Amino acid sequence: MDPDFRGDSDHHDGTSDATPGGYIEQRRPGELGFAIFLTLASLFLLYNAYGISGFKALSSPGSVPMATTLVMAVSAFIVTLRTSRLSKVAHETLSKDILPIMVILFIGFLIIFGLLLKPLGFVLTAALFLTVAIKVLARKGWGYTLTVALGSLVVIWIVFRVVFTVLLPAGILPEAEFIQFFRNLMSGGAS
Amino acid sequence: MAILTIFTQPQLLLLVGVGTFAGIYIGAIPGLSVTMAVSILISFTFSWDVYPAISLMVGIYMGGVYGGSRTAILLNIPGAPSAIATAMDGYPMAQKGEAGQAIGVTTVMSFFGGLIGILVLAVAAPFVADFAITFQPRDYMLLAVLGILLVGSLSSGSLVKGIFAGALGIAIGAVGRDPLTFAERFTFDLKLMEGGISFIAVMIGMFGVSEALQQLQNVNMKAVRQKIDKIVPSFGTVKKYLPLSLQTSSIGVIIGALPGTGGDIAALMAYDHAKRVTKNPEVPFGKGAMEGLVAPETANNAAVGGAFIPMMTLGIPGDAVTAIMIGALFIHGLNPGPMLMVDQPDMFWFIVGALLMANVFMLIFGLTGIKIFTKIVEMPRSIIIPLILLLSIVGAYAVNNSITDVYWMLGFGVFGYFMRHYGYPLGPVILGVILSRLLDDNWRRAIISEREDLGRFFEGIITSPLSLSLFIAVILIFVSQTPVWTAAKTRLFGKASS
Repeated sequence: MDPDFRGDSDHHDGTSDATPGGYIEQRRPGELGFAIFLTLASLFLLYNAYGISGFKALSSPGSVPMATTLVMAVSAFIVTLRTSRLSKVAHETLSKDILPIMVILFIGFLIIFGLLLKPLGFVLTAALFLTVAIKVLARKGWGYTLTVALGSLVVIWIVFRVVFTVLLPAGILPEAEFIQFFRNLMSGGAS
Repeated sequence: MAILTIFTQPQLLLLVGVGTFAGIYIGAIPGLSVTMAVSILISFTFSWDVYPAISLMVGIYMGGVYGGSRTAILLNIPGAPSAIATAMDGYPMAQKGEAGQAIGVTTVMSFFGGLIGILVLAVAAPFVADFAITFQPRDYMLLAVLGILLVGSLSSGSLVKGIFAGALGIAIGAVGRDPLTFAERFTFDLKLMEGGISFIAVMIGMFGVSEALQQLQNVNMKAVRQKIDKIVPSFGTVKKYLPLSLQTSSIGVIIGALPGTGGDIAALMAYDHAKRVTKNPEVPFGKGAMEGLVAPETANNAAVGGAFIPMMTLGIPGDAVTAIMIGALFIHGLNPGPMLMVDQPDMFWFIVGALLMANVFMLIFGLTGIKIFTKIVEMPRSIIIPLILLLSIVGAYAVNNSITDVYWMLGFGVFGYFMRHYGYPLGPVILGVILSRLLDDNWRRAIISEREDLGRFFEGIITSPLSLSLFIAVILIFVSQTPVWTAAKTRLFGKASS
């Protein structure tokens, strides 16, 4: 373990604001690229902020956006300069330590989730997501995967849809009819 | 007496109890954080009345700060950032077969620290609020800047990265139509940007999604189980560490009350204090010193009460969780700040009562059910991570029933993931988003009242003792990062203390 490493020894770095990940005196793979991206993005936002009201007045709607994006651009530039002077962490690679295939895969899962949420509905999309995600991560049999995924989904659905009455996209499932049927059953049972 | 509301309404009492219980587990399960839980919870409770919503959130906050210590002791994995210091001596104690004793002392001391924090909140907040009524717009602006800078400088090794994160948060908060002039800001002529970016989507993305993605790298991490024996500590043990706990509780309250700093920093500073004042510990620090447990645990729970002081009196969050709670109060039509204390003192006293009850529940739940607890916290991450992601999606969607918010959340989640990896703190981003409006409004008010004259604005700062103190504090934060300051500090206090 590198003595400069700011995370903890189990490599679950960055879980705390008090100890963000990264190294003090070395740069991680992709860190310089990220700093350059932040600088360019800040400069673009500064240009955009200037377009709000220019230098019309100190109290104009663009004054705070201009000041903050200027601060962003300057600080990102300083970070870029400092990062460029640091030596690389020898044992780390971008594909292993920063952006492993599993992270890319899950970002993909989440994008697909967002795309399918409206047309398919929450229940089906979530069932699909949980099954695939647990199968990929746990690498256990289909019996285990389906039991855990569908069991968790039932609990989540009851807690959020029924108890918290959160409105979620119904999609192709007749969810409202099912809830009504369920309520009729309960009220019938009560009477 | 609003403080009694919580005790007289069983439903609210139950919600505080449920919240505290859930908070202990959320705080304890590695990969779940209180900030994440409260930010997701806002989206589900926004349709509730304000008292039940606050009861649940206060319980989760108090329980979560304590819960992190359990896994720090038993598994050497701090369940929450505020328990990082606890693991340093807690886990060595557990390895020696003293896990029960460590948990017992931790629980009692957390209760003690929490109690002191709440007492200070109850006594100090009304005075601070009275004082805050005299604040000028420029003072609010300076306080907001100070808060963001403080969290930026204390929470990460690099102040520059902290400043960047804070400024980014302010810029995110400015997106949409300007409430005063209706001018479009950072909307890129897109209709969906005109209403701004939902701060809940930003929070869930930054704290929920990014953390879950980060945890994907630790899916197969195995925890080491410990034997648990006697839990309730003897009176003699508690009495022995009482003087130290008083000192570290004070540290916790003060650090918690500073805008932008929370339990994690309080715990680390208290641990450092304990190391300095304990001349001859029975067991060396880092090897299972009881002082190393008492100090951070009293401080992080005392910081909870402290964090509510700036939140309730100034509308400026004490830490990331109170930043989210301010958001919750906004959603319920309340505007935290000195006028809330004047117009609706009931709300303040209700929160004090809820915190008090949460602290009592924490003591009860903390000293019981440890055997079941160890089983639950060992739930595989292969199940926890997909569930966090699913809850994050539901939470982001639920606020406005909008898929756009889900995409914002995802975008900020991925961005936050990289920020974590490269050492950019996330706390200042959230603080910036929450404080953006306050900073913008007060800057414009201040400069308009000075007839758009920067000279008069600075003259106003110099001639007002409060403004001047805040301004000097802001300058000092910058100066403290310069090599000249570091050299002077080393010369004065020696290298060890730097």
